[in-house]
Amino acid sequence: MKLTIEVWRQEDTTTKGRFVTYQVDDATPEMSLPELLDRLNDQLVTAGEEPIAFDTDCREGICGTCGITVNGVPHGKVPNTPTCRQNLRSYDDGEHLKLEPFRAASFPVVRDLVVDRSALDRVIASGGYVSVDAGTAPDADTRQIPFKVAEQALDFSACIGCGACIAACPNGAAHLFAGALLSHMSTLPQGKPERSKRARGVVATTEEEFGPCSVYAECVEVCPAGIPISAISAVNREAARAAIRRNKDN
Amino acid sequence: MSAPAHSRSASTPSTPHAGHKGGLPSVYAKLIMAATGAIFAIFVLVHMIGNLKIYMGAEAFNSYAHWLRMAFYPVLPYEGLLWIMRVVLSVCLVAHVYCALLLRRRGATARGRWKRRGLGLDVFAARTMMVTGVVLLLFIVFHILDLTLGMSPAGPDGFQHATHEASYAYSNLVASFNRLPVALFYILAMGCLALHLAHGVVSAVVDFGVGVRPRVFSALAGLGLLFGLVIAIGNITIPVAVLTGVLQ
Ligand code: FES
Repeated sequence: MKLTIEVWRQEDTTTKGRFVTYQVDDATPEMSLPELLDRLNDQLVTAGEEPIAFDTDCREGICGTCGITVNGVPHGKVPNTPTCRQNLRSYDDGEHLKLEPFRAASFPVVRDLVVDRSALDRVIASGGYVSVDAGTAPDADTRQIPFKVAEQALDFSACIGCGACIAACPNGAAHLFAGALLSHMSTLPQGKPERSKRARGVVATTEEEFGPCSVYAECVEVCPAGIPISAISAVNREAARAAIRRNKDN
Repeated sequence: MSAPAHSRSASTPSTPHAGHKGGLPSVYAKLIMAATGAIFAIFVLVHMIGNLKIYMGAEAFNSYAHWLRMAFYPVLPYEGLLWIMRVVLSVCLVAHVYCALLLRRRGATARGRWKRRGLGLDVFAARTMMVTGVVLLLFIVFHILDLTLGMSPAGPDGFQHATHEASYAYSNLVASFNRLPVALFYILAMGCLALHLAHGVVSAVVDFGVGVRPRVFSALAGLGLLFGLVIAIGNITIPVAVLTGVLQ
């Protein structure tokens, strides 16, 4: 496969970036997007040029670090699939690919395709945890959680924190991320004692770091973890619930 | 080969805080928009059903208009019900527009320099909320000048004000819609209303915190569009009937 690749090159956060066009002649359909960048970087290093900086780790859709924007779509053409699992077979021979970092004011570019997603960490730090002492592993049946409830919590906890929902949102909102966090933790008994406190923290930080949700529902089309649309309504619901409960933690 | 190691230490990126600090929280702004929007949705539905009374003839329509002024008299003063509605709707309108502008600005800031482009038709109504909203706002102003106040040049020639005894809504309406540009603007505004409602219904349900499953969400989008279309088409029949001479 021959591909023309336009890549965003940027020295660091403060300098201006630009697109640079490269040609890769020996791409194969089974290559993933990070593998394509590896191939291109081999080419660049051989030619004595600076390789393209990009994030990846697990390359199997677990860690959430690999996200880039491909032809304007976060993660790439295939819906609900992380960048590392997008293969070139969904593109035609001779096609033109435009690779940019995730675009959002909350994600400043660190270098080339790498963005700083620490805004997501700040949301988690403001309530995305259970602070009661978990102690030693409890006996398997001391806390009975119905199967359906456990499944529901698992669906929301599937978020890998890649940030694609923010990059997909015309408002740069993080409601899918924040809502998934709130939903999964308020579903399980361990998370209930601090349900309101968590909502206050998470919603306040989400407002500080990201935009408001206008229900475009673009986020659910790119989310590699398949977080359902109901997550976004959880943000308003949990915020309103916490406001009604005043100073209560639960 | 993977990313070069020096990329991280090259510069410590500033923490951006692309959202907002202080001011009305966006979640509340959205709840206000949903609540006021729901009031408007109910209002336009009732208004449309009332409008259709025109097909029952001049007398029925005029007496309906007269009844609106006299409703609950003497418990309420003359035009009492109308004034309650005017005040409630005006407050809602100010709140709705204020929150819309606030959220719009916050969204633009949080998105930053690189806007999302080339989105599909499914988000057309969502992306044009500001445009349809502005058209509706202009229409509301014109509509009040035209058929409530009868102020020229917005109002038709020969506009007759309602009295304590009778209302002339029928002849005023026919005179107004006999002006082609007015009828066309009305039809355009109703098209915008349909689009605005199509996304507004979906948005309000989600903003009220109702967790809808993906399938229900799609159904809801269809329902919103249907609701908007029913109201728009119901209303649009009236200027069409006037222009084609069905209503005289
Ligand atoms: S590299 Fe881990 S999710 Fe893509």
